[in-house]
Amino acid sequence: MLRSVLRFGLASVVISGLVANAQAREVNTAFGEVDVPDAPERIVTLYEGALDASLAVGVTPLGAITSRGVDTVADYFGEHTDLSELQIVGVPRETNLEAVLRLEPDLILAPAELPNEQYQLLSRIAPTVVPDTNPLTQDGWREESRFYASVLGKEDEIERVLAELDERAADIKSRIEEAGEGGNAYVVRWMPGGPMIMSSQLFATGVLAATGIEAEDGGLVAEGRPHSDVLSLENLSQIDGDWLFLATLNEDGEQALEAARQSSAFERLNVVQAGHVVPVDGQVWSSTSGPLAANVILDDVEQALLP
Amino acid sequence: MKALTLTRRVDTRTLIVSLLTALVAVSVVSLLIGAGSVSPSRVVAMLLGADDADARFVVWELRAPRTLIGLAVGMALGVSGALLQAVTRNPLAEPGLLGVSAGAAFAVALALVLGASAATLRIPVAQMGALAGCLCVLGVARWRGVGNDPVRLVLAGAAFSALLGALTSLILFFDQRSADEIRFWVIGSLAGRRLDDLLAVLPTIVVSGVLIALLARPLAALALGERMASGLGHHPRLIRALIILCVALLVGAATAIAGPIAFVGLVVPFVARAFVGPDIRRTLWVSLPTGPLIVLVADIVSRVVVAPSELPLGVLTALFGAPVLVAVVRARRLPML
Repeated sequence: MLRSVLRFGLASVVISGLVANAQAREVNTAFGEVDVPDAPERIVTLYEGALDASLAVGVTPLGAITSRGVDTVADYFGEHTDLSELQIVGVPRETNLEAVLRLEPDLILAPAELPNEQYQLLSRIAPTVVPDTNPLTQDGWREESRFYASVLGKEDEIERVLAELDERAADIKSRIEEAGEGGNAYVVRWMPGGPMIMSSQLFATGVLAATGIEAEDGGLVAEGRPHSDVLSLENLSQIDGDWLFLATLNEDGEQALEAARQSSAFERLNVVQAGHVVPVDGQVWSSTSGPLAANVILDDVEQALLP
Repeated sequence: MKALTLTRRVDTRTLIVSLLTALVAVSVVSLLIGAGSVSPSRVVAMLLGADDADARFVVWELRAPRTLIGLAVGMALGVSGALLQAVTRNPLAEPGLLGVSAGAAFAVALALVLGASAATLRIPVAQMGALAGCLCVLGVARWRGVGNDPVRLVLAGAAFSALLGALTSLILFFDQRSADEIRFWVIGSLAGRRLDDLLAVLPTIVVSGVLIALLARPLAALALGERMASGLGHHPRLIRALIILCVALLVGAATAIAGPIAFVGLVVPFVARAFVGPDIRRTLWVSLPTGPLIVLVADIVSRVVVAPSELPLGVLTALFGAPVLVAVVRARRLPML
């Protein structure tokens, strides 16, 4: 009796293993071909962009990493999934391997430029896919979203999502042109000693560009860096464009604006006097990426420029 | 011995005059040079009456306040360093060791985590933190024992500062939003500080200044020995306690405006004593211009080296202070305390 149960159990394990194998697909990643399950059920995302892309195509991961500088995922994800169901498995720069292991994932969506040692460890837990993209470009996030969606077998869905997004951006762009509100913009984070200018080659600036607003960094951001060093207050005129997006990691953007307003050098900028300073959520504008975040950015632009 | 003292007296006066001259010169340079496009020639033209709104703004709204703040911070740190080293009879005593800087940084970090905005609450919170940190150190070292055992005070200060530093790091580790806001503050800088900040701590500085002026003579007597001082009618314990209070107030004020600025309090009294001997009154007079001199030179360099950005001042004072200290120690025989 016992033996037959054992035998049956063993056989079923072998068979299910075979079936799973038969259903696996090969995906081309930064670390070569990787076999991924056809219908992954226990997905862990180690990149905010991967979580965003997954939710955008209707797949809910089990675990994810936090947003920059907080112990939860970015707030905007709360509109797309039940955050209490989402297990936190690390922060952007550091994955908690034991937390990943505990979730027994069958697929791990990892960020571009994952270090090799990390990859070796993770791929022993579950098939780990790493896109071969450069996040420090305006459109790298589209490639990434397509990559993660295709790993999840949702190629058609992501194309539809991106097309809708492009349509919306184009609509906003034409309305901005009609209103004559366009121009250039700087995206900065305000520090007590002055602003840090976000690179023009980022997700947020890419979305801005799609609405016809040209985000600039004044050549102040070093190659391969996401933002500049804190700019001297004496050089504030270098961020005096048509619009200034003030990203803050604090929930309260108005508070960051308040802090900046304490500086007479800031008050003096034309863009400030024109009332063209827009406080925005740094979690969306300077941490995450993906189609859902892009829609939040479009909301921000619409609200500020087309009231 | 007498001849030596005499030449030193003469030296002291010329020394102070030349230091003051240098200080004035550096203050002017501080108005002329910055990280921005307003060049010295534009500043001079503006001062001579040219209509240059940018230059006027940069000089009067940005460079002048930070120069004034640099002067105040440098004086506070230099003088408190001299006082603390004298009162503890320990040439390595540094104001930071009283738990003042660590206390201020910890208080600000805590306030930020509890939801305060860095800009609005910084000054009072930092000052309270500085005082609390100092009182804790004195408590640990046993208030009454301070006079008899200055080493204990320094040890307690070092231990407590390390503890507070670790707690601050811990807070910042868990809340990196605050880390961004406070990071530059933990290092110390004069950039973006407003005259209001200075005005907020001015009463503290003035009160400490008056107290120090009153205490300088008894403190000098204390250097002769506890019994001698008592015999002259002074109260060593009270004097020490008051001096330490002054140091806490001064460093607390400096830290509250500019953040912790390393090394100035340590190196300035060394330079002073190397030139004028161990007498605390002369040391204080020389420390008064030397502190701001170092702070301002470091601040000017901090604006220039990585323009259009700026380096944090706290990094540069150590970078400058260390060679100065080494040079002084190598070139002169150091008086004992």
